[in-house]
Amino acid sequence: MKNKLKVYRALRTLTQEQLADKIGVTRQTVIAIENDKYLPSLGLAFKIAILFKVKIEDIFLYEGGINEQ
Amino acid sequence: MNRKHYKQIRVIISLFVFAIVSLAGVGNSYLLALAGVLTGIVFLALVRSKVKIKSDERESLIEEKAARLTYAIFTPTIGIGAVLMLIPTQSGLSVFSRGEFAYLESLGMVFAYLTLFLIAIYAISYHFLNKKYGGTGDEE
Repeated sequence: MKNKLKVYRALRTLTQEQLADKIGVTRQTVIAIENDKYLPSLGLAFKIAILFKVKIEDIFLYEGGINEQ
Repeated sequence: MNRKHYKQIRVIISLFVFAIVSLAGVGNSYLLALAGVLTGIVFLALVRSKVKIKSDERESLIEEKAARLTYAIFTPTIGIGAVLMLIPTQSGLSVFSRGEFAYLESLGMVFAYLTLFLIAIYAISYHFLNKKYGGTGDEE
């Protein structure tokens, strides 16, 4: 799973701290998502998508097959 | 007060409780140890009530994994420890049932009950959480 969170955050000129406050998580979680170290829950992914007014799949890109864990 | 300050205060309170319990241990004063722990709990609750802490899903995941790892390591360790302590005393070797080894059977029994207690807590909490998150399998 890849994501474009850093790109969308840069487009909105938001800092990691500001984004974290808006979606109700810590800055460490934003850093972890941006670095592909942590996969957000569906709820958090929706929150991020709603904040940037795009679809989830515009930010999060699933690259695996159907059987991939 | 933000999360960083809260973490700093939490460390200070933990050090304070550790110091009090250590002093109580040296002085054989169980009352002082109890008072230290209770004071720490009250202080932590007061500080926690003053700060708005975000519930973070990543931290929850880390806590879950840490708890699972702790259970997976601690339970077999004390279970095997209990067996190792009980076998020599049950095998009839008289050297293990007197003198400096006399406490082994009691300690082994404590460890054995502790293992059972941990497994029981795990099983009960698993059952209730499974029910809570719809894992009963009644509906099709």
